[in-house]
Amino acid sequence: MALLEIKNVDISYGKRVTVKDCNLTLEKGEICSIVGESGSGKTTVIRAVLGLLAGGGKVTAGDIIYEGRSLLKLSDREWRALRGHDISMIFQDSGAMMNQTRLIGNSYVEYIRTHENISKKEAWAKGAEMLGRMRLPDPDRIMRSYPFQLSGGQRQRVGIAMGMTYQPRLLLADEPTSALDVTTQAQIVRQMMELRDEYGTSIIIVTHDLGVASYMADKLVVMKNGVIEDQGSREHILNETDNAYTKKLMDAVPSLGGKRYV
Amino acid sequence: MFDEKDLILEARHVTRRFPSAGGRELVACNDVNLKMYKGKTLGLVGESGCGKSTFMRFLVWLDRPSEGEIWYRGKDITKIKGKELWQMRQHVQMVFQDPSTSFNPKMKIRDIVCEPLLNFGRIKPSEKNAKARELLELVELPGDFADRYPHNMSGGQRQRVAIARALALEPEIIVMDEATSALDVSVQETIIELITKLQREKQITIGFICHNLGLIQSFGHQIAVMYLGNIVEVMPGEGMADICCHPYSKALLDAVFDTKMDFSKKIEPIKGEPPSPLDVPAGCPFADRCPHCMEVCRETRPILRELEPGHEVACHLFEGRGTA
Repeated sequence: MALLEIKNVDISYGKRVTVKDCNLTLEKGEICSIVGESGSGKTTVIRAVLGLLAGGGKVTAGDIIYEGRSLLKLSDREWRALRGHDISMIFQDSGAMMNQTRLIGNSYVEYIRTHENISKKEAWAKGAEMLGRMRLPDPDRIMRSYPFQLSGGQRQRVGIAMGMTYQPRLLLADEPTSALDVTTQAQIVRQMMELRDEYGTSIIIVTHDLGVASYMADKLVVMKNGVIEDQGSREHILNETDNAYTKKLMDAVPSLGGKRYV
Repeated sequence: MFDEKDLILEARHVTRRFPSAGGRELVACNDVNLKMYKGKTLGLVGESGCGKSTFMRFLVWLDRPSEGEIWYRGKDITKIKGKELWQMRQHVQMVFQDPSTSFNPKMKIRDIVCEPLLNFGRIKPSEKNAKARELLELVELPGDFADRYPHNMSGGQRQRVAIARALALEPEIIVMDEATSALDVSVQETIIELITKLQREKQITIGFICHNLGLIQSFGHQIAVMYLGNIVEVMPGEGMADICCHPYSKALLDAVFDTKMDFSKKIEPIKGEPPSPLDVPAGCPFADRCPHCMEVCRETRPILRELEPGHEVACHLFEGRGTA
């Protein structure tokens, strides 16, 4: 059985249908990249999976099945147990999702204690241990820092550490490396790949960086104007597809030793 | 490899220090020497905070260096002021990363692109309509866009308007600070095509700040790699991937993901993050992260040496192979 199945889903904000007839299947341990230009609806799709559509967005048709049960019919209580435990999300700037006036440690402890009945001290230790595993130097100092005291790469790693605390089966990543330098991006990409290898986490990554998307993905999904234009294995999308839009998009990626304009 | 008679701008020993808390000093640019040639693109690459924008800002007088000289049109432009500076500004224009924040949202596109011309009295207000259309068509936008406001346009279109405004005064040099980073790849491609076309037609010199090596090597004539305020390597853009030899440039290259790469390749990112520019290591600034770090690297700072014409590198690994 597939881990996640998105079946014929339409998503609307008010009367406007932004995503039409979206179909996607994700197996356990699979990495899927959703690519497309800004405004193509890629973020909307993964937000729908986590039931976090912004501004009154709704799934108006179809169904989202996670491990055999529909995510659309969950109660608030069931959602709370699932989010951050079975399904986690990493945002573009993890610093922005945290409260700027609270220590990272305090936010982390609150998060852990939402899901687990342990003392603050134990939760703090658990948080620090996770940060260490994400290769953050000096985890205790990070726990005692405010988000604005860390660099973008460090904040992003804190976000990943938080998301991975309960070894979720599904990790949703929304442009996790777009705000980072190339060298930091490479570190984060490697870290996410290791998550899959170590814990068997399935990942859906949304990005407009086609290079990162193709490097990570087993499966690539190309979106345009709210519709899935093309999807398939990496091999298929990069080399075999007949879809004109996909080809045009892939050709636009600057590559080393590739075409020169001057 | 470049003709010295085409040299139009030369930065010599440019250093910029910012005062910092506790009486310390932050060195954003340290002894930067760069040359710009007519009709060529100089790409400046590096991680955030390495001082690449600080350097380019000197060229458009948004800041002045603490030490050093920048020679342009027979003058040291770091010293000029008043009327002379005002006149000089016509020759160097800038395109910013995010046009939505560098345009006045209450001005129409017509007023935005014609403002520099009116400022220097090059056109009469009555000629504004025609000139705006002409400039917009130059950047391949419909002339009717003159009546729009910046928020009515897409990011790519706005960036074209920004280029039109920079071109209005027919400058010799245009500085582009991450001009395509906010755009989708497909849009980025068309903007780069436009920039290179205009460069060929008008022989404009471009200073392009970028952190994507894959992008800059596709249209840069010479590429300078910067790390913590120091230029570590200067090389020609063509065949850059094979020429580059500084460990930091190599690390940057290895960190580039593209769709034609070998996907089985393991990523080996350089360790850690750049140290704070407040306490740059005494020797080579890259020593702590360098896979080839030697004894000498921690003690003395390497200087730029020329390996071949047009290719300079600051690294102890290449000591004795070139001339300082």
